[in-house]
Amino acid sequence: MRALGGWIALTPELSAKLLMGRHVWDLAQQCDAFGQRLPELRSRAHVSEAANPAVATFMDSLEDAEGPDQTVERLVGVYGVVKPHLLATYRDHLARANPVYEPPTRRILARCIDDEERHIAAGETILKYLAAGPRVTERVSARRRHLEGLLAAAGGVTGDGLATRDAPDVARRQTDLSDDAQEFIRLEKATGTWPVPEDLEEAQRSFAAALVAGDDAALARWLVPGLELEATAWSSLRGTRYSRHLTVAFARLGYQRLVKTRLEGPSSSATVLARWTSSPEGWRIAALDVAGRDAVRPA
Amino acid sequence: MDRPIAYDKLAREERFVRMRAREVAEIKVSQGLPPFPDLSSSESIKERVHGIMVGELQAMEGAGRSVCDFPDAPWEFTMDMARQTWDESRHVEIYLRLLEHLGGYAGEFPETTILWRCACAEDAAARVAGVNRGLEGLACDVFNQLVHIARKIGDPILERAVDFVLADEITHVRMGSKWLTKLTEGDAERRRRAIEFQESIDERFNLGGVRREGDHDVVSISIATDVRRMAGFTDEEIERLIKTTQRSQVY
Repeated sequence: MRALGGWIALTPELSAKLLMGRHVWDLAQQCDAFGQRLPELRSRAHVSEAANPAVATFMDSLEDAEGPDQTVERLVGVYGVVKPHLLATYRDHLARANPVYEPPTRRILARCIDDEERHIAAGETILKYLAAGPRVTERVSARRRHLEGLLAAAGGVTGDGLATRDAPDVARRQTDLSDDAQEFIRLEKATGTWPVPEDLEEAQRSFAAALVAGDDAALARWLVPGLELEATAWSSLRGTRYSRHLTVAFARLGYQRLVKTRLEGPSSSATVLARWTSSPEGWRIAALDVAGRDAVRPA
Repeated sequence: MDRPIAYDKLAREERFVRMRAREVAEIKVSQGLPPFPDLSSSESIKERVHGIMVGELQAMEGAGRSVCDFPDAPWEFTMDMARQTWDESRHVEIYLRLLEHLGGYAGEFPETTILWRCACAEDAAARVAGVNRGLEGLACDVFNQLVHIARKIGDPILERAVDFVLADEITHVRMGSKWLTKLTEGDAERRRRAIEFQESIDERFNLGGVRREGDHDVVSISIATDVRRMAGFTDEEIERLIKTTQRSQVY
């Protein structure tokens, strides 16, 4: 719960952010229910204590994927390893909990099982969406192997060994609590085509090509009168080899337009932000900044 | 896991353009436009909704950090912050859909991180004072006015959606008031610092005179006195806020 809460700010992708944001509250309620049940069973309430040092090591390892480019590592850790394990543990516990003596515990477990099935299905959907491509798939597999190894060494979260009850296929589970992963993906992709005016699109294309070519004279032509190329961020990028460009953002600032371009090269990448203004001579750049270097790409 | 994180670690997709609030306002003024969207046209309403969507995004991120950053805080505090995280994530979705409804898209306007910076206070009491009372109080003002404007222009989708979100914001303000009191019990100095932090945020979000007491149709951001009262602000606090807006410098 705490890891998911903390990761929301560290995760760039909107779909994954929304997924985590939705599930933090479910997990808090699960913790609360278990925490209230413990003193009823003559134990202490709300004490965060690992079953053994290896469980703590596992949790530390789970949490260490904090980079903005490690979303899939975060997701596979929680939705691919921890939650399936918890689900199996809850099912195992439920199967062994006496229906006459332990209805309070069984009720809590049933709720947790329901939540976890829903979470896993949603998490796997987002993971599949973000982990497209062989390189990312390999990262997912490596992460899964690493964490599953640590979890097995710890004997699961209880330290008593891994529960053997396999999680059932939950992929088709209906979602009715407003955490529909497909909708999160749709919202992330909803931008569609940017409404770039035709003449600006042409100007931007020429400008971006000049950036890749490192053509000072061509770049200078796009600047508003009075703005020297040396006074822009280009001076810090000059000399770096870029092989392609990609427009990654298009925003409005009053009558002006902001265009973010990612430049990719064999050894590095950079993102530049141009503020375009309309003039009698056509679109010209009023400001040019570096928005990022070695820019992080989604997932 | 780092607790808390540096404010510049806030992660975004590339399609968002991040700029400083002051720079955005200055560039708009230089074009003869108001520094903040004034709700006078459908375009300005869309821009305001985009700003709110980004604000909800940062509020979700901030509440999530509060779940993570304060493991030693009372458990009920964590529960409230987790609930708020859930609320804010639903609000993000609501505003993303409202943007679609208004013909806009995420990333259409620059994002400023002034709100997120406020959510990075290291002390839990200061954070709830600043975020839940300062920023969510601002949200009460903005949403109350937006509900009114939506009703006026005959947009029931916008009106109803924002009204439901407003109800949550009122709850968040109440949470803030509760935790400001509980976390600073017996520590007058901590309480003083937390309130001072909230007041600095109130002052900042008066936006140089943009937020004021007045009619929804006349003022860019009108102070929602009734809603604020419902959220638990005292008459004295509301009066003090109104006075600070009167002395805020015009941008």
